[in-house]
Amino acid sequence: MKRYAYYLSCINESMTKEVDRSIDLWQKDLGIELVKLHEGTCCGGSNLDYVSPKHFALVNGRNIALAEKLGLDLIVSCNTCLMTIRSAKKKLDETPALKKEVNEILKKEGLEYRGTSEVRHLLWVLVDDVGLDTIRQKVKVPLKNYRIAPFYGCHILRPSTVLGHDNPLDPTSLDQLIEALGGQTIPYKHKNRCCGFHTLLVAEQESLNVAAEALQEAIQAKADFIVTPCPLCHTSLDGYQAKALKHAGVETSIPVFHISEMIGLALGYSPKQLGIKRHIVS
Amino acid sequence: MKPFDVVIVGGGGAGLYAAMEAMKTNPSLNIAVLSKVYPNRSHTSAAQGGANAALANKAKDDTVEMHIFDTIKGGDYLADQDAVHVLCSEAPKIIRELENMGTPWSRMPDNTIAQRPFGGATLPRCCYCSDKTGHTILQTLYEQCLKKGVIFFNEYFALNLSVNGSRSRGLIAMNMKSGKVEAFPARTVIFATGGYAKMYWNRSSNAAGNTGDGQAIAFRSGIPLKDMEFVQFHPTGLRKSGLLITEGARGEGGYLVNKDGERFMARYAKEKMELGPRDLVSRSIETEILEGRGFDSPAGTYIHLDLTHLGADLIKSRLPQIREMSMQFEGVDPIEEPIPIRPTAHYSMGGIDTDNFGRTAMEGVYAAGECGCVSVHGANRLGGNSLLDILVFGRIAGHTAAEEARKFEPGSIPEVELKEQLDALRGGMHSSGNYERYGALREDLGKTLARNVGIYRESSLLKKGIEEISELKERFKKVRVFDTSDVFNTNLMQVLELKNMLDLAETVAAGAYAREESRGSHTRVDFPVRDDANWHKHTLATLINGKVVLGEKPVTMGRYELQERTY
Amino acid sequence: MTVPIDQHLEEGKKDVTFRVFRFNPQVDSKSYFDDYTIPVERGITVLRSLNYIKEHIDASVSFRAFCQAGICGSCGMRINGLSKLACTTQVWDVLAKSREQGIIKVEPLRNLPLVKDLIVDMDPLVDKMKHYSNWIDSTMSEASMGKKEFLISEEEFLRYDKATDCILCASCVSECSILRANKEYVSPAVLLKSYRMNVDIRDAIHDQRLAELVKDHGVWDCTHCYRCQESCVKSIPIMDAIHGIREDAIESRGVKDTSGAKHAEAFMSDIEKKGKLVEATLPIRTNGVVWTLQNLLPMAVKMIMKRRTPPPPPLVKSAKGIKIFREMFREMTEHVKQDHKSHKK
Repeated sequence: MKRYAYYLSCINESMTKEVDRSIDLWQKDLGIELVKLHEGTCCGGSNLDYVSPKHFALVNGRNIALAEKLGLDLIVSCNTCLMTIRSAKKKLDETPALKKEVNEILKKEGLEYRGTSEVRHLLWVLVDDVGLDTIRQKVKVPLKNYRIAPFYGCHILRPSTVLGHDNPLDPTSLDQLIEALGGQTIPYKHKNRCCGFHTLLVAEQESLNVAAEALQEAIQAKADFIVTPCPLCHTSLDGYQAKALKHAGVETSIPVFHISEMIGLALGYSPKQLGIKRHIVS
Repeated sequence: MKPFDVVIVGGGGAGLYAAMEAMKTNPSLNIAVLSKVYPNRSHTSAAQGGANAALANKAKDDTVEMHIFDTIKGGDYLADQDAVHVLCSEAPKIIRELENMGTPWSRMPDNTIAQRPFGGATLPRCCYCSDKTGHTILQTLYEQCLKKGVIFFNEYFALNLSVNGSRSRGLIAMNMKSGKVEAFPARTVIFATGGYAKMYWNRSSNAAGNTGDGQAIAFRSGIPLKDMEFVQFHPTGLRKSGLLITEGARGEGGYLVNKDGERFMARYAKEKMELGPRDLVSRSIETEILEGRGFDSPAGTYIHLDLTHLGADLIKSRLPQIREMSMQFEGVDPIEEPIPIRPTAHYSMGGIDTDNFGRTAMEGVYAAGECGCVSVHGANRLGGNSLLDILVFGRIAGHTAAEEARKFEPGSIPEVELKEQLDALRGGMHSSGNYERYGALREDLGKTLARNVGIYRESSLLKKGIEEISELKERFKKVRVFDTSDVFNTNLMQVLELKNMLDLAETVAAGAYAREESRGSHTRVDFPVRDDANWHKHTLATLINGKVVLGEKPVTMGRYELQERTY
Repeated sequence: MTVPIDQHLEEGKKDVTFRVFRFNPQVDSKSYFDDYTIPVERGITVLRSLNYIKEHIDASVSFRAFCQAGICGSCGMRINGLSKLACTTQVWDVLAKSREQGIIKVEPLRNLPLVKDLIVDMDPLVDKMKHYSNWIDSTMSEASMGKKEFLISEEEFLRYDKATDCILCASCVSECSILRANKEYVSPAVLLKSYRMNVDIRDAIHDQRLAELVKDHGVWDCTHCYRCQESCVKSIPIMDAIHGIREDAIESRGVKDTSGAKHAEAFMSDIEKKGKLVEATLPIRTNGVVWTLQNLLPMAVKMIMKRRTPPPPPLVKSAKGIKIFREMFREMTEHVKQDHKSHKK
């Protein structure tokens, strides 16, 4: 059993509770144990970094330090949290003065940011640590009849100077996971594009257009469902789907799954157990 | 169209400075800039090294007078000394003016504009923005023109001057987007279309469009061109593409090394070594190559520009663009290994003959920058003086045209002239009898120029060059324009550019053949020394009855007597 | 359309098919692709290949090219789907990653009006540069220029140095997610240039430019997809510039005037209070009650039915150990205040 520290993303504790719920169902099946960091705080959601760069460094230096205290890598299952915490790590590693300033404050809680724990997405752990062969062996209900549209989202790919796992122009990890679970990935231009989430409350029309384009392409490619490693992309593509497609004059719809649910299905858990009923689009 | 007071042809550094200055001189004037590319694309952007000015930020004892002397000596005493005085004394002012408008100059530790050593200069006086100097100057000027509300006609190709007797009535140009031929009636026209060194084609560092359009139009309208035989070869062009590695690389301490591992400049310029003037360095490299001390490769013989001893940090911080270019175009990282280089045609000293105010022989027609020839560079331009030239004389030409515009009546351009131009454009599109490919002609022109009118020149070669150019002109009559559409016909544009290059090539070869001496960039193997008694003068090439007629013009002296030029 | 290639087939050459986007508005009702197959050796760029095609096979293929050295920005186009400069792109490099073996697809930039083949209209970009005053309006009067230099420190210089690398090739414009959705959007390149002007101490119209940038279609519409930065041919960190403008906007204008700023600021205050984001009230805090009711009510109903609504503020559980976290957070606030003070000096 390989252990990891697990970062609790705000959205997975409120709107997309099904993510952590489904991960809890199957983590042991795949030989991993995620230790939840209840002391962790909101990463700043790709906003705190410019509202206050120093608070951003403190908050995320602390999030990582919590994992370092346990001697574990920090695993994240939201793209934006991933990108945000990794950018903070990069900044701290590259700026000794900032690291020192942050550590002075962290002392209060008996914490220290050292830069020893990696910050990784759950998807990367599945592909790189658990391994596709192991996953293949554990599959009970192969997704062989499904045409699946992978939607990576932005912040697991870009900026590549911060992420660096997949080639942002031609990512493969999610496709590999889908295939290991017995599913069929469809060729699909939108897989590395944007869902529009981050401007949903600021420039709604634009965001809906962005989401609609992705949804339409998946529908046209005759995908049975879309799968995404990011709960924010899920919210945009599922929660706002009706609005986006109505806006684009499209009448059909398409379900959107989290990777954790897709894995759960292939490992034999029921949609109800996995919380799939909680989606807006069924 | 309502007549313009000033029409500026060309949107590079000279054209944009002219536009800005003309608006400043008289804000009520109706001024337009015509450019065959968006102005920010102009070739000014490719000037990496910098611009000279005796700011004395780096060398506290630098003076304008020393800059003047370096420029005159560098030009092998062919520059007009009053014009050089204007260039160098205006330099500090114009560099500061650009700074005041936002040009992002690199800085000295004391926060003043940074300066570095450059070829042929006694002291470090070249102001720079890392290795993107021209690019940032062009951006600044374009931004300021947008701020001032300059009217731009972007992607218009200049075709002809409309001439009435001894006067210009304005310009005729093709709108690339529509293919329409349009009239620009104007009281004054300023040509600022850049140089003509692209006629050397693959052995040239220039942009594809540096085809001397303004010079060719002026020439065909009977305006004399000056010192056309003087074409500068930059010592360090990349072996494959001809693209330039700026002198900045040597300014920062790069070595030139032959295949024996020798820093051979010790034999040619003992004191200045790699920082000798361009013509000398180019000839030195060419000699090394001709005498068998170069490296052989399928893409031609070359020598090494070695930066490896400078270290990764300096190369990354001071010469990032050079590093990127070496990697993108040659596949070589200069941190790891030397850059393969050879001389490449780079700059044209000659151009439209102007006085110190930018006036040409035709009333109401002006020229500035590499397009014009004042002359400040004489037989050889110093590194860092070309950006300076376009700024100083662009501004002067803009000012003069704005002052003088109201003196002239606005002309109106007869419809028939537009139709003539349009018919000429369509001529090459007919399939009957037109079979020559412009690509082949262009390449042949480059080859014959590089071989016969190149770094080393000689009577029989030049004769051959002249013959081959006239054969090419004959073949051009049968050139085919394959793209028959009106919208953005780049095929047609390239054919028109080729015509301009052919017309100018004739004047380059004619001047080179006539000038029986060696001076600056012009090296005659059969006349290896400077001949001040017979050739201390400018050549003027004028088109009379369809023939190139060579005349001459004295050099203005007054500050420095003739001396032997050694480094 | 193919040239007889047998005579070219030497060692070290590969046959490459360039699938070129074609559209001539004079004759074509819709666009199509032409295939040109030519032998290409190592070291040849996409632009050189297009030049070869134009000279030897089809002179009507239209594209812009000028310096051919990666500095003028003319030859921006999409090569196998990605916007970049044709003159600095090696054919063999592209080939190695081509999805369809031996084929390189060449298309015009997106998000700008098409003129012909690979040529797009740059005027909309220039118009935006004008709209957002993408120039230095110097604090020095025109009459006094040329006499003395502004003194600019290394730190001040570094604020804009990288941004001045921009050659306006429009690759970022072509890749932008929001421009795809709305052509009115300011554009990444224009945000970058605006930032470059706003951090220059010589500039006098910072406030005015910023006021324009925070309006509709401005800096707050960026959705942080990082595609601009990823495609920048000069590797400029464009998102740093965009975030820089936002940081500046909140600092010098507060959060009152734009929903974007309020949205961003909400993260800060929630983290301080609970260590967690209070998502339920985020729409209201961003756009007010009226907007939220009008825009999100129908969705909220669905969400309630699916038990998907985020918990109301009192029910959002604070992160464990919030007390000490809050103290530390506030200590950093003091640091920041101190920084501002010494910065102003």
